[in-house]
Amino acid sequence: MNETKTAFKRMKDLPSTHLLGTGTPMCAGCGGLQAIHEIYDILGEKTVFVNAAGCMTLLSVYPFTPFRGSWLYTSMGSAPAGAQGVRDALDILIQKKRIDSRENLNVVVLTGDGAANGIGMSATSGAIERDLDFIYICYDNEGYGNTGQQYSSATPHAARTATSKGPRGFPGYKKDLFSIWASHKPTYVATVVGAEPVDLARKVEKSKKMKGPRMLIALSPCPTGWDFNPMEAVEIGKLAVRTGVWPLKEYADGKVVHTKIPGRRPPVEEYLKLQGRYAHLFRPDRNETLLREIQARVDAYWDGVE
Amino acid sequence: MKRKLLTGNAAAAWGARLARTDYVPAFPITPQTEIIETIANWVDNGEMDARMVTLDSEHSMITAAGAAATTGVRVFTATSSQGLLYGMEMLYTVAGWRAPFVLVNVSRGLATPITLEPDHNDILAARDSGFLQIHCATCQEVLDSILIAFRLGEDERVRLPVIVNLDGFYLSFTREPVEIPDAEAAGRFVSSYDAGNIPFRASAPVSQAVAAIGGTAYSYFRYETHLAAQNALSVYEEVAGEFTRRFGRTHDAVETYRSDEAEYVFVMIGSFATKAKEAVDRLREAGWSIGLVRPRLLRPFPEEQIRRVLTGKKGIAVIDQNLSMGKGGVLYMELASALHGQANVPPLVSFIGGLGGRDITPEEFYEMASVTRTAAETEEIPPPRLLYTKGEIREVRKLQAIAHAERLELEPEK
Amino acid sequence: MKTASRILGTALFLEGFEVQDAPRYGAERRGAPIFAYVRASREPINERGIIRQPHLIIVADETLVPVPAAGVLSGITKITTLLVHSFESPETWQERLNTPARILVLPAADTVEEREDIPFVGTACAGAAARLVGEISREFLIEAIHHELAHLSPDIVQKNTEKAMEAYDLMASHEGYIKEDGDFSGGAYEKPDWVDLPFEEARRSAPAIHAAATSVEVKTGLWRTMRPVIDFEHCNRCWWVCSTFCPDSAIELGEDGFPEIDYDHCKGCMICVAQCPAHAIEAVAEHKPKAHAAEGVES
Repeated sequence: MNETKTAFKRMKDLPSTHLLGTGTPMCAGCGGLQAIHEIYDILGEKTVFVNAAGCMTLLSVYPFTPFRGSWLYTSMGSAPAGAQGVRDALDILIQKKRIDSRENLNVVVLTGDGAANGIGMSATSGAIERDLDFIYICYDNEGYGNTGQQYSSATPHAARTATSKGPRGFPGYKKDLFSIWASHKPTYVATVVGAEPVDLARKVEKSKKMKGPRMLIALSPCPTGWDFNPMEAVEIGKLAVRTGVWPLKEYADGKVVHTKIPGRRPPVEEYLKLQGRYAHLFRPDRNETLLREIQARVDAYWDGVE
Repeated sequence: MKRKLLTGNAAAAWGARLARTDYVPAFPITPQTEIIETIANWVDNGEMDARMVTLDSEHSMITAAGAAATTGVRVFTATSSQGLLYGMEMLYTVAGWRAPFVLVNVSRGLATPITLEPDHNDILAARDSGFLQIHCATCQEVLDSILIAFRLGEDERVRLPVIVNLDGFYLSFTREPVEIPDAEAAGRFVSSYDAGNIPFRASAPVSQAVAAIGGTAYSYFRYETHLAAQNALSVYEEVAGEFTRRFGRTHDAVETYRSDEAEYVFVMIGSFATKAKEAVDRLREAGWSIGLVRPRLLRPFPEEQIRRVLTGKKGIAVIDQNLSMGKGGVLYMELASALHGQANVPPLVSFIGGLGGRDITPEEFYEMASVTRTAAETEEIPPPRLLYTKGEIREVRKLQAIAHAERLELEPEK
Repeated sequence: MKTASRILGTALFLEGFEVQDAPRYGAERRGAPIFAYVRASREPINERGIIRQPHLIIVADETLVPVPAAGVLSGITKITTLLVHSFESPETWQERLNTPARILVLPAADTVEEREDIPFVGTACAGAAARLVGEISREFLIEAIHHELAHLSPDIVQKNTEKAMEAYDLMASHEGYIKEDGDFSGGAYEKPDWVDLPFEEARRSAPAIHAAATSVEVKTGLWRTMRPVIDFEHCNRCWWVCSTFCPDSAIELGEDGFPEIDYDHCKGCMICVAQCPAHAIEAVAEHKPKAHAAEGVES
């Protein structure tokens, strides 16, 4: 990433006041809310969020909303289509001179990983294919968190969820949403995490200046769903990056660039052992097979990068 | 104003065009496709100043329609059958946004088995969604109803989306003479859409369609939507009255045909009601005192008018082109609840016919009249009757033989 | 409290009662106040949902009692017993609340400072309630605890059982306080004041919020059991760390260049405590008075 163009060179450059209102009903230590509050500060209040059913739907419960801009709840499967309607309507109104162009808004879809990887995939793919001018934010807490953390297609291998409580956890593998987006050749795709706020800020800043379909996938450590002490949320986010589990990268102009390549990667289990959802890999006995497999997959990913 | 031969689908497209629609989110489905193809061509040729976008599904299409209406543009969209059901979640959802727009549904029977020809189970599945419903019997009505629907839905006292329904094949692909109103006159009638203080603008934050946890707030919002739908009854009268003054055509909430002095009446909705009219004329020639009552508005339900035109009759034949599994005809239930407890309620005789586009013959109308008269005279109301003949069951047996279905008691013809 | 209600429910069921127990969920998430009901009767129970006139109200988090929105005191009458898990005495509560209800206190131990101890409060409440009802034997209470906590490790179950039995014993002198009674008749009742809902235009009657950041009116500070306290002597004024990482936008830069914690809204996740580079933020138990807590840090 070209650092000379960014206003965010170090943490000190981050905003000191925050746009997202306090008093939301999200869990204490919510990694998703952390990412959204960091993103919102840079997106600015001239934003209309178009939301799909998920944890963040409950940000706006009548008569309370934390937003200083606008919000529209749609359904679990069709937030990108809602964004299409709002974007098209604003364009029509400006083009037909029925409203001033200063009334324009950034249209931003906000959904969890369940909507982004599953039920909303058709609407998402269609919106990208139509070159819709919008930003899609996916807060990825790797399961259907709002309903009690059942596994979703973003759940990582071996994680225990409410629907994968067996000794080997979730048998499937996390869907590669980044690549699914990139294969559509959109304007921009990036992964972020609230625990790396400077990287996040630069990516939001960069995407905000672009047109067309743009995606930010935010890993969202979830104290409730992943079973860890809320105070560890940032530590877990940082470890996800340092151990190589969550590569920070971006796609633009047909190329994927890693924005933070971890030097000496600590073993993945440093990340896993802080989370109750992986406790069965360590107790009562270490499951060496699964631990080795998880490590090998991370190593293989970075072998392809390095 | 010019008179042209138009299909029901073309009439629907003309309605959208004359209403000065800004935005048309679409998704193709038989038998609706001609509507969006026509509009797409007009938009491409610059004959219609609108934007058309094909979405990935009807669910997305209705989401985009509601979102655009709620941002302040005039929206038209169209679907059929499975498409309407695929979008069902969003029908209920966007009605609660109080986002007015017009959706044309071209009725087609629902799977299973999949079919292409019409009945009304698709549209009646949307009965409780909060969308208002106007049911058309002719291609002219399709065009006129779309203009009326925009005025009705956008009215401050209503603010709800409206479905204009027409039957597949019998209207959608059938050409009839249609008077196309002058564009200026139509534009003056629909006037411009003002979204009030609801839309999304940079200068005024609004969080729309938010959750309401707890029965107290939820009940309020839901019941307000119901009150708005009920307001649509009197607003409809106003708007339809103005339409008559401007264009000379009358579209009452409940159409009555030779029923004022009649002893017996047929009640049905949709295009087959014109077949019932024809039967009324033939029966009148044969000495019957009979007429037709056709509700055009099904939501809001014009209960008072229905009571006024049906009480005091000797007998009523209700013909349902739909089937509520395990109960029977939906229109029959609607009428029964409207008439219950009123004075001089005639016997209601229920008939189910025209499923999946199956024809209803003149002889069947005559026979329904006769069965209804017998019921009134004997005070014995027969159970609901499916209009289905021996010839038809023989035909099915042949199909079953080819399909190697297990033989039943009826042997195929030698 | 959901687990506490289930333990009580199961214990009553084992004693041969017909039972109903249910948690009540709102929009709020883990850490937010929650309440749960238990009904028990010798006869089949037809009533459902909210208990309008409870015989026993058990409050695990005393900070909720004075908050009207929490509704702790709603439906309270002279037949009600209010059991508060508290650092205060029953007399203090009686004075503070001026209620017709009988007030009992389940003394909070000073050791309840760690988040890990909090789950035991619920079991203790269940134990106390079991004795107040007077119909639940020691044996069935233990069986109920083991049944409801079967998913936990044996040592945790053991500790829960000990806490519950301690509370059970503490309430010995109030055994059988809660009686099965009630005088509810369909003959004499207060008429519901039904109204005809007026039609209102969509701009008013659609579920839309026409203002910014109204959520600040929700005081999520109530969720806290632990409070982060900044030691300004050691604070480096690197506000961008705590202020950015706080998920709830509850830390902002004050005029003096120091970060300020908005205690009305801080949910007590303690991310700031974990991330403060200078280790200048301390976690202090919420029940300790603010002044005391501040003193402790400064000294």
